[in-house]
Amino acid sequence: MSVAKVLPTISVEGLTGCAGELLVILENLDHLLPYVRIKSFPFAQSRNEDGPVDITFVEGSVSQNHDLEKLTKIRANSRWLVAVGNCATTGCLQKASCQQCSAKSMMQAVYGNDSTMSVLPAQPLEHYVKVDVSLPGCPINATQFLAVTASLLREQLPYITSKPVCLECKMKENPCVLIEKNAPCLGPITAAGCGALCPSVGAACYGCWGVCDEPQIEAMKIILTEKGYDVDEVYSRLKAFGAPEHLFERMNKKAN
Amino acid sequence: MSVSSEKNVQKSFTLPKSDFDQFFTLLAQMGTVYAAVKVSEQSFAFRAVTSAKQIAFDAIRTILPPKKFFYPPSETLITYDKDGIYENEPELEFKVIFGVHPCDLAGLGIMDKIFSSGHADSHYMRQREASFVIGHSCMPDKHCFCQSMGSDCAKSGYDIFLTDIDSDYFIEALTPAGDQFIALAQPILAGATDKDHERNHHFWETRSAAFTNGFNSSNLKVTMEGEWDNKLWDELGERCLSCGSCTPVCPTCYCFDLVDIASLNNDSGSRKREWDSCQFTGFAKVNGDFNFRPTPVDRLKFWYRHKLHGFDDAYADKTCVGCGRCTVSCPSGIDDIVAVVKALQVSSAAKTSEGADA
Repeated sequence: MSVAKVLPTISVEGLTGCAGELLVILENLDHLLPYVRIKSFPFAQSRNEDGPVDITFVEGSVSQNHDLEKLTKIRANSRWLVAVGNCATTGCLQKASCQQCSAKSMMQAVYGNDSTMSVLPAQPLEHYVKVDVSLPGCPINATQFLAVTASLLREQLPYITSKPVCLECKMKENPCVLIEKNAPCLGPITAAGCGALCPSVGAACYGCWGVCDEPQIEAMKIILTEKGYDVDEVYSRLKAFGAPEHLFERMNKKAN
Repeated sequence: MSVSSEKNVQKSFTLPKSDFDQFFTLLAQMGTVYAAVKVSEQSFAFRAVTSAKQIAFDAIRTILPPKKFFYPPSETLITYDKDGIYENEPELEFKVIFGVHPCDLAGLGIMDKIFSSGHADSHYMRQREASFVIGHSCMPDKHCFCQSMGSDCAKSGYDIFLTDIDSDYFIEALTPAGDQFIALAQPILAGATDKDHERNHHFWETRSAAFTNGFNSSNLKVTMEGEWDNKLWDELGERCLSCGSCTPVCPTCYCFDLVDIASLNNDSGSRKREWDSCQFTGFAKVNGDFNFRPTPVDRLKFWYRHKLHGFDDAYADKTCVGCGRCTVSCPSGIDDIVAVVKALQVSSAAKTSEGADA
């Protein structure tokens, strides 16, 4: 009689987000299935279990009360909590929008006055709970996702580098769009991982992966201003994908 | 000086440019031919070509130097499983690299020395051995300063070298592989006449006079040491994006990161080496979050020092070959090596004259 092997368990949960990461994970589930048991993945299966789990991947920001309740429960049940995608790691577009206008007026505009929905100002997971691994991306890169999973399955925290997109561009020998087209490319201050997707087709990087390790934002401001770009536009792009507020304080301080 | 100044040592030949297609066919018989092709309005890159028509003969510099063939941006070094560790030695494609300019040949020479010294890097060496390098003459543009770095004349690193003498190529072989190829190509080559040697000599003289960019490099090391605290570095640092564009494009930058990639089934994996850059903040960061070079200024100076002064690696000398790639690849315009050296020299000279006055 063979004894069934006890596989590590994973759960994949979504809070407020576009489900982009859930799709990436679903598309790559084939690679994982031989090595893990899916305990809960409401986006992909109908029979889901509660209770302790080895790894939970969480997409989306905490924007509603039930998101927070769900996240608190997930944290309590998970050995490793992995924030996947920029909404979960930085708050991304939702947080950026909330900073620009009131959540209340947005809600009224979208759902009218009779909505019973209760909203919170959008926040990344780590605003509320301890996050073990943050995997940025909009959406995440499948290879990085599998690498993170592989590391955790072997009891190691993954090493995720945040070198700038420029490295990936050079490794692919792309012509530089910032230099040749004077495009407002944010590659120099954006974390790589996408494989320099946009510059590879001649478009400027718009920073969707979040900022790289110690972004030289003052220098970026100088260079884009010299090229005639409005720095507010750059602010808003960076904020949209979750650049931390203190970066801009630093940039403004330099300017004064 | 020219590559052919010692014409008695090497045998020299000429090839009419009109016969280049036949010459190309012979090259392609050896392996995949790589040559500069135009990839955008301003840029060229070494790419596999199947016809001479694809080659951009007028390319001054490619985005990446030919180091990419022997030290690729990313490569698997070893694989491992429960039973052992295995050297990764993928099947090699023999590469014929056409049109390598003198600065890049000098760069390859430096890389050869670094990768072959001490415990030689077998991955680099076997790729290097599976190649045939064809040097090619060029005319400098406003960013070229190989003359200042002493790398304007190809002395080694190639199998054969082609000098463009108007309607013909003046061809010299340097290595046994080069000799073999010349023997094969004999039917379409002519022995170089005295007149051809003169034409070749004339080309290199004209070229030497064509440089508009450069500096006197005799005191470079002293200048780099004496001007270590020059405020110019701070000015450059303010503009530095730490994007690392300067290092992958450099023919002699060789720093890499090693990454272990575990397989999902937890019983095997591979170790990859990928290009890294000393301009990244994590490059000199160590345990305890201590960083030996925490600011862009520290990192930029470190790189400039390696290029213009050298440090204690196998080469132990300045490693810049004057190709101008960093200058044209820096989004901030702070890698204008010539302008930086000149500014430092002015400051250095001022100090010397102050000293003399005192």
